[in-house]
Amino acid sequence: MDRKYIRNFCIIAHIDHGKSTLADRILEMTDTVSQRDMKTQILDDMELERERGITIKLNAVQLSYHARDGHEYLFNLIDTPGHVDFTYEVSRSLAACEGAILVVDSTQGVQAQTLANTYLALDNDLEIVPVINKVDMNNAQPEHTKKEIEDIIGLDCSDAPEISARTGLNVDAVLEQIVTKIPAPSGDPSKPLQALVFDSFYDPYRGVIALVRVREGTLKTGDKIRFMATGAEYDVLETGIRNPGEVRVSALEAGDVGWFAASIKSIQDVRVGDTVTLCRNPAAQPLSGYRKLNPMVYCGLYPSDAAKYEDLRDALDKLQLNDASLQYEPETSQALGFGFRCGFLGLLHMDVIQERLEREYGLDLICTAPSVIYHVYLTDGSMIAIDNPARMPDGTRIDHVEEPYVKAEIMVPEAYIGAVMELCQNKRGIFQTMDVIDTGRNMITYEIPLSEIIYDFFDRLKSCSKGYASLDYEVIGYRKEDLVRMDILLNGETVDALSVIVHRSEAYKRGSGITIRLKELIPKQQFEIPVQAAIGGKVIARTNIKSLRKNVLAKCYGGDISRKKKLLEKQKEGKKRMKAVGSVVIPQEAFMSVLSMDDDPKK
Amino acid sequence: MTPRNKPDVLYLHVPFCRTICSYCDFCHTVYKHEDGDAWLDALKKELALREINRSLRTVYIGGGTPSVLEEAQLERLLSMLDPYTGSVREYTIEINPETLSAAKAEILASHGIRRASIGFQTSDEKMLKKMNRRHTMADMERCVKELRDAGIDNLSFDLMYSLPDQTLADLQQSVNDALKLQPKHLSLYSLTIEENTVFAKTGAEPCDEDTEADMYRWICDTLPAYGFRQYEISNFALPGYESMHNTAYWEYEDFYGISCGASGKEKNIRYDNTRSLRSYLTDPLQREEILLSERDRMFETVMMGLRLKRGFSLSRFAETFGVPLTDAYGDKIREMIRQEMLETDGDRIRCTEKGFPVLNEILVCLMDDEGE
Repeated sequence: MDRKYIRNFCIIAHIDHGKSTLADRILEMTDTVSQRDMKTQILDDMELERERGITIKLNAVQLSYHARDGHEYLFNLIDTPGHVDFTYEVSRSLAACEGAILVVDSTQGVQAQTLANTYLALDNDLEIVPVINKVDMNNAQPEHTKKEIEDIIGLDCSDAPEISARTGLNVDAVLEQIVTKIPAPSGDPSKPLQALVFDSFYDPYRGVIALVRVREGTLKTGDKIRFMATGAEYDVLETGIRNPGEVRVSALEAGDVGWFAASIKSIQDVRVGDTVTLCRNPAAQPLSGYRKLNPMVYCGLYPSDAAKYEDLRDALDKLQLNDASLQYEPETSQALGFGFRCGFLGLLHMDVIQERLEREYGLDLICTAPSVIYHVYLTDGSMIAIDNPARMPDGTRIDHVEEPYVKAEIMVPEAYIGAVMELCQNKRGIFQTMDVIDTGRNMITYEIPLSEIIYDFFDRLKSCSKGYASLDYEVIGYRKEDLVRMDILLNGETVDALSVIVHRSEAYKRGSGITIRLKELIPKQQFEIPVQAAIGGKVIARTNIKSLRKNVLAKCYGGDISRKKKLLEKQKEGKKRMKAVGSVVIPQEAFMSVLSMDDDPKK
Repeated sequence: MTPRNKPDVLYLHVPFCRTICSYCDFCHTVYKHEDGDAWLDALKKELALREINRSLRTVYIGGGTPSVLEEAQLERLLSMLDPYTGSVREYTIEINPETLSAAKAEILASHGIRRASIGFQTSDEKMLKKMNRRHTMADMERCVKELRDAGIDNLSFDLMYSLPDQTLADLQQSVNDALKLQPKHLSLYSLTIEENTVFAKTGAEPCDEDTEADMYRWICDTLPAYGFRQYEISNFALPGYESMHNTAYWEYEDFYGISCGASGKEKNIRYDNTRSLRSYLTDPLQREEILLSERDRMFETVMMGLRLKRGFSLSRFAETFGVPLTDAYGDKIREMIRQEMLETDGDRIRCTEKGFPVLNEILVCLMDDEGE
């Protein structure tokens, strides 16, 4: 097909503004997916995505569209995640496109992620097509929303389609604008091959499948290819597209988006951001790399059953393949045995990975509380980066400690400004600016330690603003703070996996909060268990878990056996997610509890 | 089939109650005269279709509330059972105090019933109301007298503790009131909130865990002073008055389950008869069967046997399953003996004083993992 009839685009939006619903309508209206096969939000094909209603993994599908100019167009639609944690994945999908549809909910207007994603798209030189969604809602304000986009972002909205992705209203106008506004890909099929790997996944029968955007040249079945960064070479066995099922094609040409299989067994060979070229006629240079973001949140992942360590490693290997932002390396904990220290883009990312490991790979995991990377300057002048609080050296060796700060931009209706500011203040936030965006809406900027927002900040922000506040944040650097390691002792023994780094001024409050919370979470055992919080060996808070006195079925006669056995099985199931640390059995939630706020012990 | 291979223990369930107690999730239907008659017709069919051992050792008529049946119905029920009870050594019926009469007591006695298990629960009448029990202490006293007058003197009382807001003093009062009526046997159950009960639906909660543990401790310490030996987790008896029937369950013996809502076990099959009175009336043999694997039966032997103060016989376990207990459970048994949760005494293994109140912990640890 002539390249001038190809359009490569993605859809960007704030979370819940209707991106996946619009993608579904576009799929339907291009007759790509028959109505019968249509599940709602078809691009979100991971079970987890469907459940949470958010898009995590990006997906690429090819559609054909018969435009009003009488020509048949080939659309490559790349779906992008919409959560603040997944900026990296958004950037990957953007780099494979020439244009982006910007979906804005006309009942909510421009939100923090609307801005962040638009700027990311502009950085990638994409043509942006604004679309006003949810105009069928009673509280829709399409004119107001358009004005906002023009005022805040500076995009012309005079002919922005007013649509309802839910009902399909005016989605045909969006399709036409994809043709008229988004440029066709450039590139020459006869030039040396340059194909950008923007995603990959593992297929047990065919090995690693790479998703690519061909920039220059042609990739055919039978070609011998080389990954320019890793140097690995393979024979291409299959090339194809997704619509959204897999369809084999004989070649992918400049401008195309598709996949190839080459019986690749080593997942390390396929790096997202790498450029694929041909061995016999290689490109002189790889494409400029993707912007790679580093993990900001770390936690330890341990199998509940030590024998499952290798299974966990395999599962992480496979997950990393289509989630390059996941990082991990082996670590050992006295309390938990062998496991991995894993790096994530944010808390949601961490949650998603943990759930996928448990759900897709059937692993029972113990996760330690998330931590950021602290820069610890020692008295000898050297600096060490600490991603695990237990590794924080003895206080006498430390000169000072620095922690990462973020600039948090929070968009919030006027009525909730007080609550949001109080939350930021409680999280050691430093107020910067407050700008009125328009009547009733404000952008508040705070500088907050990253460690304070990685745990439950987002949830709390949502609850204190009845869901109206939205957040975007970026790391702005390290600052010196008076930070200390607080150890937790159970039955007199330090449990390294429960250590936490806290601000000295809050240590006492946090210590009492954590010990009380652990008392609630750790089930009674057959002996009394002292729970202590200590800094540098000095106990600052203590409580006791009383011993278990009675756990027996009151009644058990002949006819009760089946039912009572089920009850015991339930008790056993409950113990499965617990870990014996020394003589004490600790439930999974206890490891997270060290980050819970002391003013909310029930949460 | 020789009688030797047949169970000699029989449980018969009477699925009727006058009212439904707030804590009860047993099979029960509110009693109606016509239903009682129809049920007896179906029961007659069931007995005719099942080849039941005619030399039973123990028979237990439970419920529901057997005593809710009218005199003629009781007479008919017991007459139907007469052919099986010739050699019976323990013949028990459950009674709710307010539903008994002197005439009913006479009928029971005339068919050889010598043991009655009475729902005493508590002597706190306010609490009884909360539990939706319709009797008073006066009913209780009258009931005991009527049974004794009829010659039924082997009386067991069921009591409940850890009731909502109950204090230790409340329980002590109830136990003292019960002892005054001179039972031979006492069962004391802590309240468990079962799903699908009024208590569960209304969010009632047992008293706090510490008080419950104090109550249990007090019960186990105090009753022996009155001559009641504890022989099972929740059961106490004057010497020689331990329940033979219930002991058969704890010894994991086979037993018949007769009528709507009963369960039984024969060889490696456990069955639950239909819980629906309507389907029982159409086909009294409707039941669900569970095939018990050898591991199931091993575990259930342990789960039931450890409820007895004296524990269970190691040689009988080895003989039944062809493998000694310690081999069947790897190091777990030895480890629990080391932790002083279990102890052996000659041929028997049992819980220690420390292990007894936390038996679930022991059982959960012995329970096989899936796929093991």
